[in-house]
Amino acid sequence: MDVPKEPNFHLLSAPEFVPEKYVRTISHNYVGGSELKNLKKRIQALSDETNNSLKKNVYQNYVQFIDTGKEISHLESEMYQLSHLLSEQKSLLSALSATSILEDRTQVNFERNPKLDEHEIEEENKLKLATILEKVEGCKEIVEANDRVFIFEGDLLEIDATENTAIKFVHMYLFNDGLMVTNRNSNSRGLMRYAFESLYELSSLAVVNVRDLGNIKHAFKLLIFPDTRVFQCSSNASKKEWLDKIDQAKKLRLATEQQKKDQTVEKPSPVRAVSMDLSASKPEEVAVVHPEWLLDIPDELDVCVAQRQFEDAVNYLRKAQNYICKFNAKHSAPDAVILNIQEKVELKQNNLIDILMNELEVNPKKSFQGGLRATRTAVRLLNDLGRSTQCCDLFLKLCSTMLKNQAKKLKRETSTITYIRYFTSATFTNMCYMIEEFLRAFPDLPYCVSAYVAWAHGHLTIITNHFWTQVFVTKATLSTITECVQLIRAQCERLCEYGIDFRYKLDGQLRKFINTALNEHRDKFIDSIKLRANEDKWIPMNFKTKGALTRCLQEHEKMGLKLDSYVSGDVWLQLTSSNIAFTKLFLVFLDNCLNLQTTELLEPINDSLCSVFEAQVAYNKQALTFQPEQNLFVLKNIGFLLLVLVELTQRKYKESIGFECEPLNKLVNENSALLKDLASRNTKTKYSSDFL
Amino acid sequence: MEKNMSKKPTVQPALHKVIMVGSGGVGKSALTLQFMYDEFVEDYEPTKADSYRKKILLDGEEVQIDILDTAGQEDYAAIRDNYFRSGEGFLCIFSITEDESFQATQEFREQILRVKNDENIPFLLVGNKSDLNEKRKVTFQEAQDRANKWGVPYVETSAKTRDHVDKVFYDLMREIRARKKDENKTSNGRGKDKNKKKKLKCTIL
Repeated sequence: MDVPKEPNFHLLSAPEFVPEKYVRTISHNYVGGSELKNLKKRIQALSDETNNSLKKNVYQNYVQFIDTGKEISHLESEMYQLSHLLSEQKSLLSALSATSILEDRTQVNFERNPKLDEHEIEEENKLKLATILEKVEGCKEIVEANDRVFIFEGDLLEIDATENTAIKFVHMYLFNDGLMVTNRNSNSRGLMRYAFESLYELSSLAVVNVRDLGNIKHAFKLLIFPDTRVFQCSSNASKKEWLDKIDQAKKLRLATEQQKKDQTVEKPSPVRAVSMDLSASKPEEVAVVHPEWLLDIPDELDVCVAQRQFEDAVNYLRKAQNYICKFNAKHSAPDAVILNIQEKVELKQNNLIDILMNELEVNPKKSFQGGLRATRTAVRLLNDLGRSTQCCDLFLKLCSTMLKNQAKKLKRETSTITYIRYFTSATFTNMCYMIEEFLRAFPDLPYCVSAYVAWAHGHLTIITNHFWTQVFVTKATLSTITECVQLIRAQCERLCEYGIDFRYKLDGQLRKFINTALNEHRDKFIDSIKLRANEDKWIPMNFKTKGALTRCLQEHEKMGLKLDSYVSGDVWLQLTSSNIAFTKLFLVFLDNCLNLQTTELLEPINDSLCSVFEAQVAYNKQALTFQPEQNLFVLKNIGFLLLVLVELTQRKYKESIGFECEPLNKLVNENSALLKDLASRNTKTKYSSDFL
Repeated sequence: MEKNMSKKPTVQPALHKVIMVGSGGVGKSALTLQFMYDEFVEDYEPTKADSYRKKILLDGEEVQIDILDTAGQEDYAAIRDNYFRSGEGFLCIFSITEDESFQATQEFREQILRVKNDENIPFLLVGNKSDLNEKRKVTFQEAQDRANKWGVPYVETSAKTRDHVDKVFYDLMREIRARKKDENKTSNGRGKDKNKKKKLKCTIL
C-alpha cells in the first residue's frame, strides 16, 4: 500500500491522481479523527490557495487579453492606413502608366504627372517606333502615322483554326490603336527581320481567350470577319499579358476617343488607321466614348463602400447620375455603355442603400453608445438617396429600442415615486431629444413628421401601460398615485414645446385607471369610517395633556381648520375621535382628488367625496338616535362636519376647480333640519353646553 | 511549340460554332462550364470572351462543338458584330429571375439577325436558372410567346442542376448540322425556302 503523501499541488494535479484511491489510502493510514481533521484543514488551505492563484491568473490573463485587444485594434488601424497608402500608390501608378501611353500631339487634356517624364516617355516611344521601322518591312505609313504609340510586342505561333495545327511564327506589335501582325522575313538577312502582314484596328477587333482547344494550350483567338485566327503563346502568363495589354489598350482608346469627341464635336471620327483586312468592311458606327471616371465609377463605389466612406460613395453616385441625365437629354438614342453604367450604378446604389439601412437597423449586438447622433450620417445619406420613408421607419424603430433599453437599465427603486420620477424623466427627456434629432434629420418632410407623431402616439400607450403596471397594479396609496400622475403629466407637458400636445391623450389613457383607483379608495375609506364609528364612544376627545391638545390644534390649523371654539377645559376637545380622524383623512383625500382632477374625472371625484362624507354624517346621525344622552354633543359634531369641514372643502374645491362642489352643498341642504335644530339648541342651552 | 508544328494534320470532325449571348450574369459561362466539364461554378466573374472546343457524339456522329462565351457587355459595337459573325448558331440566354435580361434578348436577336442577315439562323431562346422557380419574374408562357414570334424553340435550363443543359447544346447543333446539309445540297435561294419549311415543322404553331 502507498504511503499517504502530504497533500500538495503537484500530487493533486498529477495526471495519474485518482481521488477515490487517495481517499482510500488516507482512511487506511489515519486512524484518529483529529488527524483526519488536520489533513482536511490542510487540503482546505490548499484549495483556498489554488483558488486565489486561479483568480490571480485569470486577472492577469484578462489584463493580457485587454492589452492584446488594444494591440490588435492598433494594428488594424495601421493596416488600414497601409491599405490606404497602397491604394493611393496604385492610383498614382495607374495615372503614370496612363500618361505614358497617351502621348502628346493629340492635345489630350489629361492630368499628367511631371512633364519631365512625359518628354522621356515620348522620346522612348520615338526610339521604339524607329526600331520597329528598321526591323519591319513595309510598315512605314503605319509606324509613322500621327499619334501611334507602341505598347507591347512578342513572338507568337499561329495555329490553324480548324485543323489545330501550327502554321507559322509571327511577331506581333500592339499599338495604342491597333494590333500589327508581321511574318518572319525569310528573304532578308539584314536588319529587316519581319515583314508587315496586317494591322487590326482595336475598336473592331474581337479577341477571344481560348480556354479549351484540345491539345492547344495558351492560345487566344482574333475574330476578324470572315477570318478567325488563333495564336499560341509560350506560356499562360504570356497569354494573360497579351490579353490584359490588349484590353487595357482598348479601354484607353475608349477614353481618349471620348475626350476627342468632347473637344471637337463636329470633327468626324479620329484618324482611322490603315487596315488591310478591314478595308472592305463598312465603316462601323462611331461608338460614343465616355470619360474614364464614368467607366470607373462602379469600382470606385465598391471601394468607397468597402472603406465605409459612404459620403464619397453618394457623391460618386450623384456625379454619375448627373452625367447620365445630361447625356440622355442630349442623345435620343440609348447608348450601350451608358446603359451598362446606369445599370451598375443603380445596382451599387441599391447596395449602398442596403448597407446604410443596415446601419440603422436594430441589432442586439450593436451598442447604442453613439445614440441617435451616430445615425446622422446614414440618415442624411439615405434622405439624399430618396429613401426618407424607409429611413424614417428605421429611425423610429431605433428610437423605440433605445427607449426600451433605457427603461430596462433603470434601477427598480424601492419607492414607486422615485422610480416613476426617474422613469418619466428619462423617457420624456429621450422623446424630446428624439424629436430634436428627428427634426434635424428630416427637415421639411411633413410625411415624416406625421410618422413621428404616430410613433410617439403609439409609444405613449407603451409608457402608460408600463406606468399602469408600476403604479396602479401594485395597489399603491392614492397619494402615491396622485404624485406619480402629477409627475407624468408634468413630463408630458414638455413635449408641447415641440408642438406635440399629448396631455389629452395621456389623461384619456389614465382616466380608466384613476377612476378605478378612486372607487377602490372610496370603498376602503367608507369601510374604515364604519370601523371607527363602531369603536367610537361618542364622547369628547381627551388629550390627557395640554401639550397634546395644542399640538392637535396646530396640526388642524395647518390644514386650514380652526378648532379653538371646540376646546373645553385644558385637555378636552368637543369632537369625537372618529370625526377628528375622518377630518384628517378626508382632507388628504380631497387634496389627492383635486390634484388628480380633470374635467372628465370631476364626476367620479364628486361622487367619491360625497359618498365618503355622507357615510360619516350617516354614522353621526345613527349616534344621534342610539346615544340620546349625548344628543347635543353629537349634533355639534354634525355641525362641525356640515359647516366647518364643508366650508373648507368648498374653499379648496373652488380654488382648484373654479366653482363649488354642488353635490356636497346638496348634502348639506338635505341635513339642514339638523342644523336648524342645532342652532336653536345652541341659543337655548348656551350655558349648559359649556358645562359639557 | 516545335512538337505542335511537326504534328501531322489530321482530319478533324465537323465543327459547329455556337455562340452564347445574353445580358451579364444570366449564366452563360455557367451553362458552358456545366456542358464542358460537368461543373457548376457558383462564383460570378464577368467573362470577357472565352472559347471552348469539345468533341462529342451527335446522334452517333463525331462532331466538334466550338463555344464562344461572350461578354454580356462589349463597348465596341464593331467588336460585338465580329463575335456574332463567327457564329453558326446562337443560344440566347436570359435569367427567368430577371425581367431585364429577358427584355434584352430582343436586342440581341435583332443584332444577330442584322449581322448574320438571315432570318433562319439556328437560334434557341434559353431561360436559365429554372432551379430558382420561386424567384421567377418571367413566366414560361411569356418566353414561349416570344420564341413563337421569332420562330425558335424555347427551353428552360438550370446550370446548377444541369437540367436541359445538354439538350440546348445538342438541339442547337442538330439545327446547325441540318442547316449545313441543306446548304450543301442547294447553294441557291431554294435552300432558304427549304429551311423555312423545315423551320415551320420544328416550331409548333
